[in-house]
Amino acid sequence: MAEFSLPANSKVSSAGKRYPAPAGAANVKAFKVYRWNPEDGANPRYDTYELDLDTTGPMVLDALIKIKSEVDSTLTFRRSCREGICGSCSMNIDGTNTLACTKAIDDIKGEVRITPLPHMEVIKDLVPDFKHFYAQYASIKPWLQTVTPAPSGEERIQTVEDRSKIDGLYECILCACCSTACPSYWWNSDKFLGPAILLQAYRWLADSRDEMTGERLDALEDPFRLYRCHTIMNCANVCPKGLNPAKAIAEIKLMMVERAG
Amino acid sequence: MGTGTELGRVRGLGSAKDGVHHWWLQRVTAIANLVLVLWFVFSLVRLPALDYTAVVLWLRQPVAAVPMLLLIVAVFWHFRLGVQVMIEDYVHGAPRVLAMLALNFYALAGAAAAVFAVLKIALGAA
Amino acid sequence: MAEAYQIIDHVYDAVVVGAGGSGLRAAMGIAEAGLKTACITKVFPTRSHTVAAQGGIAASLGNMGPDHWTWHMYDTVKGSDWLGDQDAIEYLCREAPAAVYELEHFGVPFSRTEAGRIYQRPFGGMMQNMGAGPPAQRTCAAADRTGHAMLHALYQQSLKHATDFYIEYFAIDLIMVGGECKGVIAINMDDGSIHRFRSHKTVLATGGYGRCYFSATSAHTSTGDGGGMAIRAGVPMQDMEFVQFHPTGIYGAGVLITEGARGEGGYLTNSQGERFMERYAPSAKDLASRDVVSRSMAMEIREGRGVGAEGDHIFLHLNHIDPAVLHERLPGISETAKIFANVDVTREPIPVTPTVHYNMGGIPTNYHGEVVTLKDGDPDSVVPGLFAVGEAACVSVHGANRLGSNSLIDLVVFGRATAHRIGETLKPGTPHAPLPKDSADMALGRLDGFRHSKGGSPTSEVRLAMQKTMQANAAVFRTSEILDEGTRKIDAVYQRMADIGISDRSLVFNTDLIETLELDNMIGQAVLTMHMAKARHESRGAHMHEDYPNRDDEHFMKHSLGWFRDGGVNLDTRPVHAYTLTDEIEYIKPKARVY
Repeated sequence: MAEFSLPANSKVSSAGKRYPAPAGAANVKAFKVYRWNPEDGANPRYDTYELDLDTTGPMVLDALIKIKSEVDSTLTFRRSCREGICGSCSMNIDGTNTLACTKAIDDIKGEVRITPLPHMEVIKDLVPDFKHFYAQYASIKPWLQTVTPAPSGEERIQTVEDRSKIDGLYECILCACCSTACPSYWWNSDKFLGPAILLQAYRWLADSRDEMTGERLDALEDPFRLYRCHTIMNCANVCPKGLNPAKAIAEIKLMMVERAG
Repeated sequence: MGTGTELGRVRGLGSAKDGVHHWWLQRVTAIANLVLVLWFVFSLVRLPALDYTAVVLWLRQPVAAVPMLLLIVAVFWHFRLGVQVMIEDYVHGAPRVLAMLALNFYALAGAAAAVFAVLKIALGAA
Repeated sequence: MAEAYQIIDHVYDAVVVGAGGSGLRAAMGIAEAGLKTACITKVFPTRSHTVAAQGGIAASLGNMGPDHWTWHMYDTVKGSDWLGDQDAIEYLCREAPAAVYELEHFGVPFSRTEAGRIYQRPFGGMMQNMGAGPPAQRTCAAADRTGHAMLHALYQQSLKHATDFYIEYFAIDLIMVGGECKGVIAINMDDGSIHRFRSHKTVLATGGYGRCYFSATSAHTSTGDGGGMAIRAGVPMQDMEFVQFHPTGIYGAGVLITEGARGEGGYLTNSQGERFMERYAPSAKDLASRDVVSRSMAMEIREGRGVGAEGDHIFLHLNHIDPAVLHERLPGISETAKIFANVDVTREPIPVTPTVHYNMGGIPTNYHGEVVTLKDGDPDSVVPGLFAVGEAACVSVHGANRLGSNSLIDLVVFGRATAHRIGETLKPGTPHAPLPKDSADMALGRLDGFRHSKGGSPTSEVRLAMQKTMQANAAVFRTSEILDEGTRKIDAVYQRMADIGISDRSLVFNTDLIETLELDNMIGQAVLTMHMAKARHESRGAHMHEDYPNRDDEHFMKHSLGWFRDGGVNLDTRPVHAYTLTDEIEYIKPKARVY
């Protein structure tokens, strides 16, 4: 059966620490951050850090970096480009999966609660294990596949119109915000590819240069890999790049019907 | 079957190459249900009375019995397809096989009983 | 101490450190040559900083007007202020079209022309007819997400070829035996295990060290780890004083707005609403090379014509461009400007300021990617077993100033060249000589020392001191006085490394420790940057020395070289290659650089 409650060692304990704001801070906001260190044997907890927003950058990632630099250097999270293109700092902020670097602190009322992406195994604090997600990505053979050899000394021709068909698809940054917001992925991530990977699959189905459409559809036609999508639409709601994986999945389903006749 | 690596686990047993038929039938039966249930409600409302005799007399007519049989088939079929999705969502491993057996038996038996009842009324002696 | 760490051994023909554009291209090529290849990376490949490149990749395809690789070469030489090695520049420009076609064949979703060919846009300093003009449309683009499109395609290719990746492994140090590189020691961040990779050829593809500065367009992970390892291995760094300031970083956030914005018709204005670039670069205007535009902006700000309450930035206008064009060709920066500057580009100008963007300097290499050093009077002496590519390297094709869109082409052309060189010079399965017992000692000693460090200076404090010093004393305009102060200050910051103290002692995903190792990699390069800047008594490309405002070819037409050991800096020089690769083009002689 799908598991609906947390295993004992994942239950959040009440042992969290509180780090008060520096004296004299006028514009204080609290950040309640999920902490778990596999090496200390303790259950996860929430630590609360109070920051002076007057000396903090505008984004949630700025707050996390400030905490790590000035308050508690053991806080662990991934980050890189800080401009929303690398997909490293995906996490759950105030109940929604998003990128910490493009999420403005001002958009959140009250205390800011930060947890790792849901339903992924946690390595430490806000760092989830992406290995399964990446393996699912590899499994759809996400590269250009052709039978016709590439032309020599020039590019393949693609019309402006054909090229526009992969807009809204190729921009995916593999942050997994959508997949880990999808209840169907929560229950069946072992077999369901999830919105991010299916969007990537459609990116190649929609590319006029690719010649393996049939084989790609064959590999996707499966009650679990594709058809666990029940158009819940959380994916489209959370995508920090404004993409619509649900629409891409619907397009795949239509191609399946068209093919079956 | 290559379960030693993450990619091996993801590739698993491979694609079932099945699912489009199920997905399509679920939509077709949904549309059939919509039309037939509307017909059913509309027909009942138009009856002079809703007592036993009135309904049985109505159901004896071919124009009522045939759509009624179609409605039974569509409803049970759609039910079976829909519950299958729920079982696949939440029940994993061996219990899933058992749940599917139970579902198939229930849907088939229920539909058969309902069809028999309609036929009995439609074809039965006065 | 060091014995407490268990070491897991791996044996490869070649190891690539870094999985950005150049690392992925090199790894793929080496594997294609039949060599057993590993690629070690501290972040998942598509998180590498190549992903943030926006505007495009330069190659003389001629899809949108006449072009020729020799024109590209002329522009690159001129852009480099004649400090680039012309044999390497010829190789770059000649190979560029093939490299771009290869990317397209890999599946990169380039934007298209009406004829269905790769779309090319104008970029700074790119001209037709050997610099005479008009501007050339040479920069191949996938909207304004070219780096993202490219990096993902390269990662996809490496999945196709089943590359042997070690993801979230942080390389600590090279294994050097008798001046020869024999591999690399890395820590698996996932569990803290130590891995020794033995290899005949080690490729450093670790990117730049932009995070030495307080405000940079670079990712937090751009910490010059390869440079740090090379310095500790006794390899010199080259031309570190040349740090590119990108004209259009968003004011405050430091996030990049592509030069392609100006390529598509955008322009800069000062507080008087004047298009001041017409004064500084009458012919190329807003599309002059980056050092020229950044300097002009800094000059406007300095003379009191900056915009904003503090008068400390400049406006970039895109609001005159058709919204449909913005949507099609610059969708990413439209979004970025909204998020980080709260600006609707179709209505308002973007507040921008010159921001640290790229390191022209790095590990010196020849055009095969082989690391070279000055040894026994030979300025082109190869360091056996060691290669460098991408921003980590200094080939040098960018000289004193890189042209926009020449970095992406640098990645793939020299990534491929390195792979070819390794494929030609190494037989698959060549046996490894035994390593000396102490091969991991330096790496483990440093790791353990930092992990248990209890000093009074937290990593973040020392890092901030370094960044503030670099920002203040190695900026767009430099003087002897500022650089004297800078060298004193940065040397003092280095001394604080001995007093470092961290809080996280764990092994699993210890980012406190990793950030400290990154700082240790950066600090040496920061010190060298400051000292090399102080030593170059001329102005060339990105190095603007106000006490020596002119280029001095007689004394300084040479590469700076610098070694750093235990706080001590040793400087020397290498000659600039004043020859080309083939007879098809003659050496382009220095002349005044006017845009």
